[in-house]
Amino acid sequence: MKLREYEGKRVFAEAGIPVPMGRVIRSVEELGDLSAFGDEVVLKAQVDVGGRGKAGGVVICPTSEARDRAAALFGITIKGLAVTEVLVEERLRIEHEYYCAVMIDRSTRQPVVLFTEAGGVEIEETARTDPDRIRRIGVLPLLTELPPFTVRDLIGREPKALGPVVSALYRAFLAKDALLAEINPLVLLEDGRVLAADAKVIVDDNALARQGIQRNRDLTEREAEAERHGFSYVELDGEIGVVGNGAGLTMATLDLIEHYDLRAANFLDVGGGADRERVAHAVRLLASSPGVRVIIVNLLGGITRCDEVARGIIDAGVAQRVIVRMAGTNEAEGRALLMEHGYEMYDSMDRAVAAAAEARR
Amino acid sequence: MILADKKTGVIVTGATGRQGLFHIRLMNEYAAEVGGIGVVAGVTPGKGGQDAAGVPVYDSIRAALKEHDADASVIFVPSGAAGDSIMESAANGLSLAVAITEHIPVHDTMKALAFARLCGTTVIGPNCPGLLSPGAAKLGIMPPHLATPGPVGVISRSGTLTYEIVDELTKAGIGQSTVVGIGGDPVIGSTFTDVLARFERDPATKAVVLVGEVGGALEQEGAASTSLPVVAYVAGVSAPPDKRMGHAGAIVEGGEGDARSKIRALEAMGVTVASRPSEIPALVRTLL
Repeated sequence: MKLREYEGKRVFAEAGIPVPMGRVIRSVEELGDLSAFGDEVVLKAQVDVGGRGKAGGVVICPTSEARDRAAALFGITIKGLAVTEVLVEERLRIEHEYYCAVMIDRSTRQPVVLFTEAGGVEIEETARTDPDRIRRIGVLPLLTELPPFTVRDLIGREPKALGPVVSALYRAFLAKDALLAEINPLVLLEDGRVLAADAKVIVDDNALARQGIQRNRDLTEREAEAERHGFSYVELDGEIGVVGNGAGLTMATLDLIEHYDLRAANFLDVGGGADRERVAHAVRLLASSPGVRVIIVNLLGGITRCDEVARGIIDAGVAQRVIVRMAGTNEAEGRALLMEHGYEMYDSMDRAVAAAAEARR
Repeated sequence: MILADKKTGVIVTGATGRQGLFHIRLMNEYAAEVGGIGVVAGVTPGKGGQDAAGVPVYDSIRAALKEHDADASVIFVPSGAAGDSIMESAANGLSLAVAITEHIPVHDTMKALAFARLCGTTVIGPNCPGLLSPGAAKLGIMPPHLATPGPVGVISRSGTLTYEIVDELTKAGIGQSTVVGIGGDPVIGSTFTDVLARFERDPATKAVVLVGEVGGALEQEGAASTSLPVVAYVAGVSAPPDKRMGHAGAIVEGGEGDARSKIRALEAMGVTVASRPSEIPALVRTLL
């Protein structure tokens, strides 16, 4: 789960990384006394999407205008999201922008630390056109601190004050079970201070419980429902609802739907041991999505009991057309039950999806 | 056949949980059917002396190994303790640890894998269905009766999709040497590259089916590393960016790891890529 900028900065501050003076407000009334900020302030909308700067989500203004500008910021939406939180920060006088990040390298199965003196908004461009400008050093996961030589190799001849920040970022990455901890830009100020001007921290979803972080704050009603039942669920914008067991099989079903020029309404993996009740919940959940015309149930596995699945589908009793493909124990009983209640069942996923495509013509 | 055979003795950790009990029974039913050793002991701390689906339970792998010979562990321990179970397997000299457990925090996985590597222990998974050598050995949860012995190795990041493909191969009369589910997590003990290297040394394996999905670049790295003929399938062509598609590792991030660019990269190195699972058997036949 991606933390918001102010949450990420709180993580950094706890790890000993200097961050700009600032506070989060949820309404203009919370602005309070801004005299400590000096002549100018920065107002940054806290929304969970990228590209907020270009969308007008970051405002630099004289402190005297902060109230009006903050009020305006609370009134806009950025890529469809309302601005409910604004981070108010001191204006920084920047001498240079660096980039520093810790992420996970799948190929070497270990954290990798990245550093470049070419930080700022062009970092992705640099990564594409001049990747050698970004230094990358892997770290043995059994170490709990970055070795000093690694820090020296990363920052080279840049100001020594950067070193403790790099070390602290690595500690924060470990302490917070992060998949990514990124400072861009990491700034050197005109007065010689070094601080994290932005913060991007993604915490491993599998570690949220031990980190004491509440999962997914902004769920739609159906996403929350799916979460309650322990389904893996992603909303899409098509017309074919999909229930599968296993992430790979469900993705393959979605791909097949696209192959037939149809559009899937969702990804829903019911997980292992799909029983009567779970299947009924899953089918009802999809039937409640507006625009779902057809539901394809694709279940496979040695221990899935087809008669149970069939009863779940019949229990759900939804109005939409339900097309079933399943294989496993008691397949014949399952088929008989479905046929009896007027449902279609196919023995391959190709035929099941083809049947959905056929009906559209 | 790779990684395990009839002579592989197995310790199951997390033996007294629902999953552990159920799958000890299924693994030993299969072992009895094929004449293999199967599961010799279970481990659950604090439950030593009990019985789990017909095998004796010990408090630790160390204690189990005092009474039994074993080469491998199959791990069903809950996510918070599964990394520790991988390290326990490695520290006790088991040559193979198969981690079935899903939702292990990735920092735990990285640490456990680094430790296992120092001990020389091969890890399959986590978040995987394990492995199956038809007619010889089953370490994990794969339904064995969809498979049949033969010359094709299967390596997959998926579970049920693997069964689907194995079923298609078997129905087409194409048997499998070993089927390996390497796991759906972003960080896994054995990658396509690692498993392909084993298939390459296995005289019985003539071709490999590589089943990938969105996220990372392990598919391309694997295909580039082998001289065996490969048929690939990559799930998630229709997956939107920045959404986790069920598996922790199945996510297109920062514009990287999408299915189409993987398929392009695979095709550029001469790998045959199936556009849907049902095409795989016919494509494999052209390579045998």
